[in-house]
Amino acid sequence: MATPQPCYHCGLPVPAGSHFQARVLGEIRSLCCPGCQAVAEAIVKGGLESYYQHRSDAAINPDALPKVLGEELALFDRADVQQPFVTHEGELASTSLMIEGISCAACGWLIERHVRNLEGVAEASLNLSNHRLQVRWSDTRLPLSELLGELRRIGYAAHPYQADQAAERLARENRRSLRQLGVAGLLWMQVMMATMATWPEFNIDLSAGMDRILRWTALLLTTPIVFYCCTDFFKGALRDLRTRHLTMDVSVSLAIGGAYLAGIWSTVTGRGELYFDAVGMFALFLLAGRYLERRARERTAAATAQLVNLLPASCLRLDDTGQSERVLLTELRLGDRVLVQPGGLVPADGSILSGQSSIDESVLTGEYLPLPRAPGDSVTAGTLNVEGPLTIRVEALGDDTRLSAIVRLLERAQSDKPRLAEIADRVSQWFLIIVLLAAALVGLVWWPLDPDRAFWIVLALLVATCPCALSLATPTALTTATGTLHKLGLLLTRGHVLEGLNHIDTVVFDKTGTLTEGRLTLTGVHPLGGESADACLALAAALENRSEHPIARAFGRAPQPADAVDSVPGLGLEGRLGERVLRIGQPAFVAALYGSAPPAIPGDQGQWLLLADGSGPLAWFVLDDRLREDAAALLQACRERGWKTLLLSGDSSPMVAQIAEQLGMDEAHGGLAPADKLARLQQMQAAGQRVLMLGDGVNDVPVLAAADISIAMGSATDLAKTSADAVLLSNRLESLVKAFQVARRSRRIIIENLAWASLYNGLVLPFAAIGWVTPLWAALGMSASSLLVVLNALRLTRH
Amino acid sequence: MAALYVLIPVAVVLVALAIWVFFWAVDSGQFDDLDSPAHSILFDDDEALPKAEAKAPEETDRRNDD
Repeated sequence: MATPQPCYHCGLPVPAGSHFQARVLGEIRSLCCPGCQAVAEAIVKGGLESYYQHRSDAAINPDALPKVLGEELALFDRADVQQPFVTHEGELASTSLMIEGISCAACGWLIERHVRNLEGVAEASLNLSNHRLQVRWSDTRLPLSELLGELRRIGYAAHPYQADQAAERLARENRRSLRQLGVAGLLWMQVMMATMATWPEFNIDLSAGMDRILRWTALLLTTPIVFYCCTDFFKGALRDLRTRHLTMDVSVSLAIGGAYLAGIWSTVTGRGELYFDAVGMFALFLLAGRYLERRARERTAAATAQLVNLLPASCLRLDDTGQSERVLLTELRLGDRVLVQPGGLVPADGSILSGQSSIDESVLTGEYLPLPRAPGDSVTAGTLNVEGPLTIRVEALGDDTRLSAIVRLLERAQSDKPRLAEIADRVSQWFLIIVLLAAALVGLVWWPLDPDRAFWIVLALLVATCPCALSLATPTALTTATGTLHKLGLLLTRGHVLEGLNHIDTVVFDKTGTLTEGRLTLTGVHPLGGESADACLALAAALENRSEHPIARAFGRAPQPADAVDSVPGLGLEGRLGERVLRIGQPAFVAALYGSAPPAIPGDQGQWLLLADGSGPLAWFVLDDRLREDAAALLQACRERGWKTLLLSGDSSPMVAQIAEQLGMDEAHGGLAPADKLARLQQMQAAGQRVLMLGDGVNDVPVLAAADISIAMGSATDLAKTSADAVLLSNRLESLVKAFQVARRSRRIIIENLAWASLYNGLVLPFAAIGWVTPLWAALGMSASSLLVVLNALRLTRH
Repeated sequence: MAALYVLIPVAVVLVALAIWVFFWAVDSGQFDDLDSPAHSILFDDDEALPKAEAKAPEETDRRNDD
């Protein structure tokens, strides 16, 4: 078979014989599905087809976006629903929307342009780094639901975005640290000019009066640096001293505070050296290092902080007469009857009153096959109704649901998380002790010799040995490594991951969705009659294309869907293709079509579906959850490092043991509830093991939160992503192998940096002790050593 | 040297002004998104395009309804 042509819009393969086309940029382009066709036509119609010229990545397939019903969108037009996220200013309303489906910069252009062209929109701007669209528009002319609908038409899903408190605090802190950085930079330059003029090296013919003016000017300009920009250092130092820790903050505060106080003394008396420029330089360098680190981390956090939408926003409530009405989830009460359509999420814990279907609980339990459910059975909020409509009586809501119980388990696990000691903290502790001892010693020696100079020499020593380079050593290395990993597809959301990766000795894997792809794929076709495998597959695809069942997707797209397709929940599908009546599904159900016993299932692995027409069986189809292609490479890398590998899965099928054997894992356990997984992990941690956890489902969330380091798959549930320390956006396990290497290299660079910074400080110490270090030499040494550390860290950008 | 008596206050005032402008820029979100503007200038050349091609979709408005 020839390699299929990629869809012009989304890049997925176009099924053979597809007739979905659109005219884009003057040529007829083949598309894979009606969804892509509609989007491409909408884009062309809006006069925005140059999007296709500029984009650097294919768009997201519209079917991959979360489904939103028209009725659900209409709910957003209700004033009480809008109230939290829409503000009104005169005629215009403004809101912030979270956009899903952005794949490259051209998407930003497309969205902004399309929205601005809409009737009634005054302003639209998209922030590409956090995917938020700010819109000001007249909501009397264009209801919010239509705005969301328009975005959907060009292939993006939009949700109203409401900043939570944590996000707001983060934004406030970011602005504050940016202000501190800017103030430090602007003032430092002025302070340096004023201070340097008073140094003997530059002082040519400064009059006594001018000297006084320059000193006072420098003092005036330094004061905001100390009291506005450096407050975090002082606060940190105070906190650490209270907990009896000597950290970097303590030594930085000591140097800044000492230099500032001595500067005041020397300004008032007009004698002695000025170190105000050093104060500004420390502040600027250290704040820049911290700001860059924060920025790198915040970027990643913003990319992952999608809405935690495990539950649907609305649901269909049935009233006494059996009429359904769409209401918000918050309006639902205990005892209500709710209708859950096939393909919809169950909104609350409850029991089934009527209907027959199967429920996909993979998110909660790790079971990868949907389980059949009948009246009387209970269902759990957040699980997916697969086949038929169900009427459910609500028995638990909100905090009482099983889903919330898992979230609570997560919170407990997070507070128990062990902290890995960071190298920089340990180094700085020793460093500070040595410097303080040296300063005391030097002071004691100089006091009897020359009491006038003793104070200035001790001060010069404190300033010259200020651990500027030492404090930059780790943040710069971590920032560049974070950037490098981002390009590899691994987002770090917490700071300790890189250093922590070097302490790991055990790796725990989840199965469904982590080592496997997490969805059923077709692994084999066994023809039974005269027709070829390809012909049978085309027939099966024609039937399945009319179904919402997750199994249906495994068959790919059919050029010609079947007619009159009827779905029998739990059993299979029946439909007509031309004159032929076909059935696919459970053997007994299918065999009933031709009226004799079904053939024996040829294997025991996976799920077997039979295809038949009126005259007899046609083929067996085997569906299974396939192992990711690079799983073996990752396991190999783990073994090379001598790590113990474990498989902890909620799935109780024999597949768990089989996969473990296939990949050569040390241990495997199946059928574990979230609490069991957590217990096992904590057992290992109690035994002194350092654990890396890789998972994706809600059932992994508590373990992800408790593990020393946790990585969630990019396809994982939002809750799993937010509770993990890193997110594997690319979903490629081999990126992790590279990440291990980067972690190892960044540790080496951090150690090099720390060694260099300590060496510099060690070298300058004797010169400072004998009184040779003037403010000029202190400034030169500090900038040179800091620059070296930064350049060394930049080596991490090269792979 | 006498010029310094004027220049130093001027420098202080200028710094104060610069800080004020900087604070305004931070507060009005100028630094919130450092990625989009870099890309957006690439597209603005096509401003005239949609109008020039406004007629095109009508001729090519092929429907592929099945």
